[in-house]
Amino acid sequence: MMRKMTQAALVACLAVMATAAMAGPPERYLHVRVEDAANGESVNVNLPLSMAEKILPTVNHGNMHEGRVTISHGDMEGIDLRSILDAIRTAADSEFVTVKNHDQEVRVAKSNGNLVVHVRDSQKDGQKVDITVPMKVVDALFSTAKQDELDIVAAIRALGDAGEILLVTVEDATQHVRIWVDSSAGQEQ
Amino acid sequence: MILLGKIGLTLVGTAVAGAGILCSEGMLEVNVVERQPESHHVFVIAPAMLIPIGVRFAPKEQMSKASAQVRPWLPTIRAALGTLMDCQDFTMVEVNQPGQHVRVARTGGSVVIDMDDADETVHVSAPLRALSSAVEEIAEAAPAKNP
Repeated sequence: MMRKMTQAALVACLAVMATAAMAGPPERYLHVRVEDAANGESVNVNLPLSMAEKILPTVNHGNMHEGRVTISHGDMEGIDLRSILDAIRTAADSEFVTVKNHDQEVRVAKSNGNLVVHVRDSQKDGQKVDITVPMKVVDALFSTAKQDELDIVAAIRALGDAGEILLVTVEDATQHVRIWVDSSAGQEQ
Repeated sequence: MILLGKIGLTLVGTAVAGAGILCSEGMLEVNVVERQPESHHVFVIAPAMLIPIGVRFAPKEQMSKASAQVRPWLPTIRAALGTLMDCQDFTMVEVNQPGQHVRVARTGGSVVIDMDDADETVHVSAPLRALSSAVEEIAEAAPAKNP
């Protein structure tokens, strides 16, 4: 009797573990929050990444086609983005660009597998911009065979795999913008 | 007497089954309260299955125009509605301004739009399955014949 009960408990445990394994990763949401304290306004947008991943390949309009965006050569102004990206990918964690003048400070760095951009502008109400993009997302963005294309869908997929991350914050005296990814359907962060 | 009972039971059964089928896609709900300049209140609650049926009986010329506009975006709309059906409930967009509040959400298999300002309050709830059927009906409308 005891042995049968143990076997039943073991089977139940295995069934629960199998179900948990089959459930897959949780849904990730891209959240955008814009707050304007001066006008008392706020805008919140929540978008499941799976939704963006399925919708974007169906959009064929303007420069967007099959989940990719074509960049015209004029916009690139002779800059070879892929070569720059390759250089950043192979480099160790370090600060690549630092620009400081009287009112502004711009820093571009690679840190813990993320591409990090910091901008401080004392002219624009002390505006602070912080951007963190996982290198895997940047890689996915440039993963297409064509030189003049960005693979948005691949980047979104990589963003979903990257876990919970704060992507962008913009702050000045009155406005606050925040873009992040997590598994919460609301804006709890 | 038994025959009457059987007929009555058949009628009631048919009515219940008909109501069940009619409500199977959920209910469409529209609630509009206008405060200014005059006070009006419009409240409609109807089986959502009536949306695609209504689309089928809409004037053909209008439907042809709508169909031509919808058709290029049909894959996108299908993908959006399909994903929304599979998602859990969430708020898509929420806008707050002094005296104004707008919210678009997926709630219990429906798209719910709430708008509230000084002049009016609007609440619309439409089941996703019915919206999907309506879009397919619009897309299938025959193109207008050239004179």
